[in-house]
Amino acid sequence: MAGEVIYEVKNVSKRYGSVVALDGASLKLHAGEVIGLVGDNGAGKSTLVKVLSGAHKPDGGQIFLDGQERSWDSPRTALEAGIETLYQDSGLAPHLTVSQNVFLGRERFVKGILGFFGFLAKKEMEHEAHRNLEEVGIAVPASNRSVSQLSGGQRQAVAIGRSVAWARKVIILDEPTNHLGARQAGEVLQIIKAAKKKGLGVIFISHTLPHVLEVTDRIVVLRLGRIVKDAPTSEFDGDTLVGTITGTIQTIKVEGD
Amino acid sequence: MTDSNQLVAKVRGLVSNQASILVGVLAVLTIVFTVIEPKFFSVATANNILTDWGSVVLIAVGQTFVVISGGIDLSVGAIIGLSGVVSAYVMANVMGYTSGTPAQDAYWPLLVGTIVSVAVGAVVGLVNAVLINKTRIVPFIATLATMGACLGLSVIFSSGMPIGGPNDFNLIAAMDYNTNPFSVVVILVAVVVAIAGLFLHKARFGLYTYAIGSNSFAARAAGINVEKHITKIYALSGALSGLAGMYVYIRLGAGSPSSGTGRELDAIAAVVIGGASLMGGVGRIWGTVLGTLILFTVQSGLIMIGVAPDWKKVVVAVLIAAAVAAQTLQKKNGQR
Repeated sequence: MAGEVIYEVKNVSKRYGSVVALDGASLKLHAGEVIGLVGDNGAGKSTLVKVLSGAHKPDGGQIFLDGQERSWDSPRTALEAGIETLYQDSGLAPHLTVSQNVFLGRERFVKGILGFFGFLAKKEMEHEAHRNLEEVGIAVPASNRSVSQLSGGQRQAVAIGRSVAWARKVIILDEPTNHLGARQAGEVLQIIKAAKKKGLGVIFISHTLPHVLEVTDRIVVLRLGRIVKDAPTSEFDGDTLVGTITGTIQTIKVEGD
Repeated sequence: MTDSNQLVAKVRGLVSNQASILVGVLAVLTIVFTVIEPKFFSVATANNILTDWGSVVLIAVGQTFVVISGGIDLSVGAIIGLSGVVSAYVMANVMGYTSGTPAQDAYWPLLVGTIVSVAVGAVVGLVNAVLINKTRIVPFIATLATMGACLGLSVIFSSGMPIGGPNDFNLIAAMDYNTNPFSVVVILVAVVVAIAGLFLHKARFGLYTYAIGSNSFAARAAGINVEKHITKIYALSGALSGLAGMYVYIRLGAGSPSSGTGRELDAIAAVVIGGASLMGGVGRIWGTVLGTLILFTVQSGLIMIGVAPDWKKVVVAVLIAAAVAAQTLQKKNGQR
């Protein structure tokens, strides 16, 4: 089902002062695969996400995209390489319209001298934004509506749809089902499945374990900055997953544990 | 849906439209002042209002960009004074065109003066941007500091006295005091405002301004260079303030160090009356244009109906408070 390895980190570490946030974590993501990244607060999830998305440079370790070693100066370089990241609760600008958000940072200009001065091809972007979102299975109201007028679920759908529409290789979703009702969360999980079908590698970070169990192919468990378990989702159920996260189920030997 | 429902919906749509509210306010003010003092409704009054409008709308437009991006620029009034005295100095003392220069010879130095004035403003704007981006001082304090520096520098530069220079007062006079209250410079200002409006509402420059004010984290995540754009916004605000400095120079025929003092309050008032939110992400050029017009209609009207001019600042303060209160109430109702 899953294709070849598309994104990989080897032995990455990150310290903040004397705090070891990430301690030699290694991770492989295949094309068309959804992996769940879980762990308690402070386990190192957000640090790993920041390393993967280019927001933070690791102190040590290597990053490979399509088998080539890379290093990200900023989220922008990772973005340009095909890695889209959707941050928790902060993906969209509420005062902008749906299409302005979808095309933010990737605007289209009108032809001619006005285009040279940065005048925007508004209608073209509105049509295309609508089509892009529909393609990933989102029925969004008019593209020219302000995001602040959308419900929480619709906003999240637009944010994820935007990432899926633009991602060429990898998409990282940080708590995308947070604060959503059951039906809306279900829609988000559908979009993740659509992304997988497109052949993207998806990294899904969540505290909502039933969602993780439902949508992922593989689960990676972080504890105290280390990856303590990396196994197919079929090997987990709710109880064993909780046990692995909290440490009541022994996984690998952790010094001093 | 019945006809009356449709009518109600239409009226609601009209009232919720910020522009029509502002036009309505302007109309009501004009009617009230005219009823109290019939002389208010005249070309001469319109010329007074438009001339005042021209000196503030430029800094108010710059302020609109700044406020939409989530910042504030308090240095705009002080830039008017500094750019005015610097360009007057260049025209009179460097180029040698004194206040005795015949009007027909004044255009060349005035053009150079305009370039100098805009450049002085842009430089102050860049200093604001460096303070905000590099030292992480909040815009309120950063621009308060440059405001103080500009006020001080303009007094040092001019020894506290206005510097006279070349001028053609026909530029600022009404084209016809019986029929046409517009002056040449007011029309030029309107053209600059319209161009700025196009860049705010139709071009990427404006889009990024809204995006940063709406959610700077999302803007950054979308790959926008937020610091670079903030720099451009403050440079623009400074440059427009420099242009306003030249406008005020032409109005006075001299660069005066105190000519812009307190104007930042007028600009902020115009912007919030026009519907911009000091929280960022919200604002329109026509709101600022109408807000400035309302501001000076009120000031002119009050003077004409016999209120002492000293009350002007109090009225501006009350208008700011009322506009922000109205916004807050509107927001509460909007959230239901």
